[in-house]
Amino acid sequence: MTAEIPTLSLVDVDKRFPGVHALKRVSINIMRGEVVGLIGENGAGKSTLMKILSGVYQPDAGEIRIAGQAATFDDAADANRKGIGMVFQEQSLLTNMTVGENIYLGNEAQFTRFGIVDWGRLYAAAERQLAKVQVDVDPRARADTLSFASRQMVELAKALTLEEHAGDHFVILLDEPTSVLERAEIDILFERVRALKSRASFIFVSHRLDEVLELADRIYVMKDGAVVADLNSSEADTTKLHHLMVGRSLQAEYYREPLQRPYRENVVLETENLSLGHAYKNVTFQLHAGEILGIAGVIGSGREELTRTLAGFAPHDSGLLRIDGQSVRLTTPAKAVDLGLGYVPRERRVEGLVLFLPVAANITLADLATFTRNGLINSREERRIAEGWVERLRIKTPTINTLCLNLSGGNQQKVVLAKWLQAKARILILDHPTRGLDVGAKEEVYDLARAVTSEGLAVILTSDTLEETIGLSHRLLVMRDGEITHRTDAAPGHKPSQIDLIGHMV
Amino acid sequence: MRIASWAPVIVLLLLCAIISVINPNFLSFGNMVRISQSAMIPLVLGIGATFIIIMGSIDLSVEGVLTLAAVVLSMLVLNGENANDYGLFAVAAVLIVGAGVGFINGLINVRLKVPSFMTTLGTWFIGVGIANALLGGMATRINDPWIRGLAIERFWGFPWGVWVALLCLLIALIIQNYTRLGRHVYALGGGEELAALSGISVARVRIAAFTIAGVFYAVGGILAAAQLGLGNAQIGNGRLFTTITAVVVGGTSLSGGQGSVLQTVVGVLIVVVLSNGMVLMGVPPSVQIGVQGLMIIAAVALSINRKLMKIIK
Amino acid sequence: MPMNSSLKRLNIDRLRHWLPLATLIILVTVVGVMEPVFLQPSTLLQLASDTAVLFILATGVTFVIMLGGIDLSLQSMASFSSVIVALTIAQLGYVSFGLAVGTGILAGFLSGIAHVKLKIPSFIATLAMGGVLFSAALVASKERSITLGDAERSYQTWVTGSHFGIPNVIIVGLIVLIVAHVLQAHTRFGRYSAAIGAGEPAAYASGVKVDRQKIFAYMLSAGFAALAGVILAGRLSSGSPTLAAEMLLPSIAAVVVGGTAITGGVGSIWRTLVGSLIISVVRIGMTFLSVNIFAQNIVFGSVLVLAVAVTIDRSKIPIVK
Repeated sequence: MTAEIPTLSLVDVDKRFPGVHALKRVSINIMRGEVVGLIGENGAGKSTLMKILSGVYQPDAGEIRIAGQAATFDDAADANRKGIGMVFQEQSLLTNMTVGENIYLGNEAQFTRFGIVDWGRLYAAAERQLAKVQVDVDPRARADTLSFASRQMVELAKALTLEEHAGDHFVILLDEPTSVLERAEIDILFERVRALKSRASFIFVSHRLDEVLELADRIYVMKDGAVVADLNSSEADTTKLHHLMVGRSLQAEYYREPLQRPYRENVVLETENLSLGHAYKNVTFQLHAGEILGIAGVIGSGREELTRTLAGFAPHDSGLLRIDGQSVRLTTPAKAVDLGLGYVPRERRVEGLVLFLPVAANITLADLATFTRNGLINSREERRIAEGWVERLRIKTPTINTLCLNLSGGNQQKVVLAKWLQAKARILILDHPTRGLDVGAKEEVYDLARAVTSEGLAVILTSDTLEETIGLSHRLLVMRDGEITHRTDAAPGHKPSQIDLIGHMV
Repeated sequence: MRIASWAPVIVLLLLCAIISVINPNFLSFGNMVRISQSAMIPLVLGIGATFIIIMGSIDLSVEGVLTLAAVVLSMLVLNGENANDYGLFAVAAVLIVGAGVGFINGLINVRLKVPSFMTTLGTWFIGVGIANALLGGMATRINDPWIRGLAIERFWGFPWGVWVALLCLLIALIIQNYTRLGRHVYALGGGEELAALSGISVARVRIAAFTIAGVFYAVGGILAAAQLGLGNAQIGNGRLFTTITAVVVGGTSLSGGQGSVLQTVVGVLIVVVLSNGMVLMGVPPSVQIGVQGLMIIAAVALSINRKLMKIIK
Repeated sequence: MPMNSSLKRLNIDRLRHWLPLATLIILVTVVGVMEPVFLQPSTLLQLASDTAVLFILATGVTFVIMLGGIDLSLQSMASFSSVIVALTIAQLGYVSFGLAVGTGILAGFLSGIAHVKLKIPSFIATLAMGGVLFSAALVASKERSITLGDAERSYQTWVTGSHFGIPNVIIVGLIVLIVAHVLQAHTRFGRYSAAIGAGEPAAYASGVKVDRQKIFAYMLSAGFAALAGVILAGRLSSGSPTLAAEMLLPSIAAVVVGGTAITGGVGSIWRTLVGSLIISVVRIGMTFLSVNIFAQNIVFGSVLVLAVAVTIDRSKIPIVK
């Protein structure tokens, strides 16, 4: 193995973003004809690594080598020219164009004479590409008439056009390609990938550990921006992989467990057989004042959509949702806000804050009515309120007139929380509240979560890591395929283990 | 083609049926020629705008380019104001002027990142301004027999201008369906980021599309000058409105990626037949602008895929 | 955000902030030095009077631009409004002004509904509405200009007269300035508009009723355009379907030149005032320099594109369509 030159390798690749060391001297090798699995929790650095491989980001230090030769990728198109093909989880076919046009998009020159595209030749070539992945699709069909599974195959066929100009050494990145597929379709995809190993190398990224074990020859495990393990699939099982991904044992202090007070008697929010289309069904739970209710589940488990329903973005279509005993349907965020819900979104910079408005205006955005007299905003009052929150939550900002854009992630998150506390929200929906934050900022968010629940606020929590969900929550719900599969208490000192929950998630 | 894209055709057929029932004169050969005469300029303009709208952009400079082209033409061919008589060279110069303005539109849009509606709003008025400055508020009579002939001389019963418009249509169909540029215009409209990921030079496609559109507007200017027999600064008035109505009513989506030059042909015919019908029925022309406005709103409202659009600005 | 890039951002922001005012002062100085007549009080009052209508139009569209939208119907609205006044002032007297402005508010409401509920991009919705209004003006006026008689003009002294040597039209402009400034800077509507323009998803998620704010902005825009039409009818003693036809470009240019970004979120009525004055001074300056009057559109068009290029916040628009 050492004698052979890897098709693609990363050598000591380092990447930093403001406040985050995303990749720490990462080295990986992909040999010819190999399928390499890449796993890790959200925030472990997988997506940064993929973006470096596909040319979207450039490494700060370290080297990319193709067949032993150092290479740089100016952008995604350049990476593609140099032999990196991509199959994404989100559809990357242009739905308004035909399959054949998609396969050769940007590469039509070979079929063009005197500026005129010879469609016959192009479609014939497309047909040959489709034959490689053994999919029965008319190259003249529009992409939006195809099933998701067929589109995935077309993407694979498109990636295989690399053979024409990248020669022997090319790698296809499969980024969560199974998330929209049914089991039978996944089997077909895997079968094709195995058949194509003679032509290409693959990097396979997935949240589903069993699938990675099934398809990959070798697996890299990432954690906190570094590769922590490189093992052959034959030596691994899901438990072992999960241990490697999560790594450390629970630290009670880190999640402020000693501050976890019993929640109160009164139910502030409850659902009964709540359902929404294919997203989730028959969800029943109660949320008490002073409680943090954690929802665990993988992508596609329905917990994301459930969160969006409670925030007012995706109203449920059957079942009951009660807030303070009143049956409601949250058709807009405005309605949810009126009922005392506050949404701390995962897309903090898009939905959490108006980045281009000052700190003060963001803090008061959801509560302007309370200090408007005769239609006019009392700006002295507004300033006083904003300064009060900046002091109470120790928001680090030059002034309250600074644009939120210029704050660090942790302080931005505090502004979002201040907004909801000012609006006297009684139920907070924390949607991946520590995403992208460094350790110190995370701890401050944990402190705040404890502090507000002690005062009687209720919290619904979804998080990037299972560890965080378990550490913070009073009770846990586990979701799989849109349904609650498991409920458990998580009292301090009696927290369930991650392995207990994993079984109900996958 | 999908069922939805046949809706404009059905509308057109219904419209023809209704009008011919009310006034059988509608179907006479003479009226067909009249319709083709009033359709030829909107068609050429609509073809140009179609490329831009498929890309997901907008071009408001239609009147600016058309006016400038008409005025420049009137001053370079045999005319009543000066001694120039450049004939076909003048036509070539006018096409270059159109391409130039379009090129500048594209350049500003791509390099300065000024959204197309602002860019072309600016060049619209710059174009009319230059035309005005050239003329000094006057009009120039065209005496060139070839140019006048476009409107007067006929071939198979139809004025030469109509044949010029059909030639433009043919060229546009080839560009749209048989060149890389044509397909890349669709790719940009379907998803600019994905197109860029596939190695398409977005900047080059945008600039090229605006340039081509400019050439078509310039042809529209030539036909307009021929029809009026002169060049003046008001020659473009109201043409932007008709152009956008036609493209949109034909079913080309403002959000980009959907539509075609052929659909614009249908759209142009709907607009022209409707106003022809209204004239036959004695409706004053002043009402027609309002009707077009309502048509734009109805057509856009029917064609927009609201699920795909979260934020509309 | 790395420190040096946020410093750079601050500098650019500061530059964007003061550039329009500096431009205005320099322009006034330059024109004043070349033509000392320009700095005489009577000329300056004339300048202010001439700016009033432009300013009122620009103020209306500022509310829409703050949200990230555009209103291309304002010139047709103003013209239609002048026609309404000209046709009804003899019978209705002062009520005709209310009728005109009310029609404007209604038209703005309809544009807003078309934009928000039917999800039609604002430039198309307002372009179409502009066509409808133009058509209405043509039909109502029977395609001619209507000149007002002396009896009718007596209702218009609030526009044409003066107090203490200051033309009333300037006073009206100042009232508009104050009202619009308060609306924009001291009410929830103003704050919500800025939030929507600067970050619509976050405003929506924070419970702001986005649709309602947008519709209100289009009502303001068309309402102010109608008011401008009323004043124009007074100043020119006539109403015509093309009375304000040339006003669209200068109005939008005034807003943008003042430093309000067309991407929304950043801007103020003061900036629009500065922008309107810049446009007026440029126009007068061109007359003094005897620039061909027909060439003015070239200048305004170029200024518009340039100003957008300078003020636009590229970080907010990854894809420029």
